[in-house]
Amino acid sequence: MKRREFGALAAGALAMGLPFRAFADETCQSPYMPKITGQEEFVYVWTLGVEGMGDEQDKLVTIDLRPGSATRGQVINSVSVGGRNEAHHGGFSADRRFFWTGGLDTNRIFIFDVHSDPSNPKLHKTIDTFVKDSGGVVGPHTFFALPGSMMITGLSNDDDHGGRTALVEYNDDGEYVATYWMPTADDMQGAVAVGDAVADGYGYDIRALIRKNVMLTSSFTGWSNYMMDFGQMLQDAEAMKRFGNTIVQWDLHTRQPKKVFNVPGAPLEIRFPWGSNANYAFSTTALTSQLWLIYEDDAGEWQAKAVADIGNPADIPLPVDISIAADDQTLWINSFMDGKTRLFDISDPHKPFQIYEKVIDRQVNMVSQSWDGKRVYFSSSLLANWDKKGKDDAQYLKAYNWDGKELVEDFAVDFYELGLGRAHIMRFGSSALYSS
Amino acid sequence: MRKRFLLSGLTLVAAATVVGWQVWSPVPPARPSPMSLVFEASDAYQFDPPAPGSYRLNRIKRAPDGRVLDIAGTEHSLHDLTRGKISLVSFVYLTCGDVNGCPLAMSVFFDVHDASGDLPGLNEDVQLLTISFDPARDTVEAIEAFAYPITSDEQAGDKLNWQVLTTSGPQELRPILDGYGQVVDRSEDQETISHLLRLFLVDRQGDIRNVYGLGFLDPRLLLTDIETLLMEEAGA
Repeated sequence: MKRREFGALAAGALAMGLPFRAFADETCQSPYMPKITGQEEFVYVWTLGVEGMGDEQDKLVTIDLRPGSATRGQVINSVSVGGRNEAHHGGFSADRRFFWTGGLDTNRIFIFDVHSDPSNPKLHKTIDTFVKDSGGVVGPHTFFALPGSMMITGLSNDDDHGGRTALVEYNDDGEYVATYWMPTADDMQGAVAVGDAVADGYGYDIRALIRKNVMLTSSFTGWSNYMMDFGQMLQDAEAMKRFGNTIVQWDLHTRQPKKVFNVPGAPLEIRFPWGSNANYAFSTTALTSQLWLIYEDDAGEWQAKAVADIGNPADIPLPVDISIAADDQTLWINSFMDGKTRLFDISDPHKPFQIYEKVIDRQVNMVSQSWDGKRVYFSSSLLANWDKKGKDDAQYLKAYNWDGKELVEDFAVDFYELGLGRAHIMRFGSSALYSS
Repeated sequence: MRKRFLLSGLTLVAAATVVGWQVWSPVPPARPSPMSLVFEASDAYQFDPPAPGSYRLNRIKRAPDGRVLDIAGTEHSLHDLTRGKISLVSFVYLTCGDVNGCPLAMSVFFDVHDASGDLPGLNEDVQLLTISFDPARDTVEAIEAFAYPITSDEQAGDKLNWQVLTTSGPQELRPILDGYGQVVDRSEDQETISHLLRLFLVDRQGDIRNVYGLGFLDPRLLLTDIETLLMEEAGA
């Protein structure tokens, strides 16, 4: 048998851990899990239960997106998980057969089977021992798939309920593997603080660029803040000091921290681009409203710098979720307080600039786009105690068509009207992903 | 006097024998450290591997047991085959044509197998296992033919032992795939099989210590992990 030579791989495929990253996942049948380059069939919405509304429970809601379907734009299924857990984020397993989701208050992890019937996910397994397994980590936030395991970021700890936290790794069977505490000034674990950086030990998101063996984590705030009423927290000067100001660069293979960057104002979501030579990532800061670039310099060292303002930082629009296009040319950035989405041209990542904006609703958080960028979806909830109140507490999923110039609404699902709850993270599903 | 002469003579012969042994006995050539130096970096992996032993490899889960058949058709317990050596385990089907699939897994194994010729003594500690997940077509005869380039390699004795295995059917195969977490999906036409490319590093005690997928198949990383396990065993 002849050995074959292989050139560059599409290693960036697994870099971001976003659902449609799985497209270029390895396969002996091209592709095992085809990327949803065409039409996404379903969107799963991890939804927070609301006291006094419907069954009052957190739930995974499925909305039909199939063109021509009689139920297009409608909720076709819902799986309630019992209780209100502060449902927040989730991520697919590397084989995209399961969707792991977390509760930031109860620390329960709910794993849904999305492959047996993609139109009707089922609760497969619940992990109730996250805090005990991990040695005191609280707030399972981001679920980032690696081959054979799931890397979960924490937000807090059960010692002081502040922001000091860790990464926690489970295997694909849902068994605990290891905990990696974030570096702190007292225990840098071999990492180097760059410039004015002070390692605060906080966490939030995690993303990786496998080709470079680089993993990045960001920093938010702990349980005592994210479960506090938003208005009350804003008035609490001590609480307002307890936000993260760091992004940490890790060695992906060894899970060891290497550098701590000073990124003031709570950097949240991290996104790596798709290009095979694109050695950088974006993040946005919630409190200081800046777009940051974490990039490899000419000497091969990673650096971090602010590259643009988002809206008027003095207004504190509070940037939240972001979504990078498949061609790396544009970046949607949502801001919670003004309910806006803004589109940035990032064709030169060092000099991004805004090219479009639109008010989606009174509040907005998450944004997900189709592979071709022509369909963009928004959802509303940030945190149960931070969402706006009264008539400003709009809870929805809204679908838009984007033609490169204008977002035009396609359909909207009112989650309160349907008695479902607060709509949070969205992830796409498709029966085309699974052969059997 | 004769006795003393005899004794002296014997002593001289013994000394000469010792010296001769030192001159004629082959001194094993040194193994490069880190072992990953036997590979050059590729464009696909733009980083330096970590220093072996500078990190720990988690125990991810227990590698499953199962009944497998070797190229002679002899049945073995998978645990019996993996116990006692550090094993790199891959799953393929031999009629796979996707360049980013099974051929890639095989190519990485060929690279490691070939390079092991420059890593003297590694074959005492490390082995390769390739298991087919298509028992219907990958019969004992088929895997024997597939393994021919490996078994007929004149330098096979210096390289890692590489076993190509199959199973007698889906009933024997399923617990192995499920236990490893190797996802395999047959299309309706049954001709094409989709699977996620995965390599597994199993330690001597039978625990899976790392799982590699597309994007992680840097042979330098594989060797670095193997060297890290060896150092762990040595108490370094």
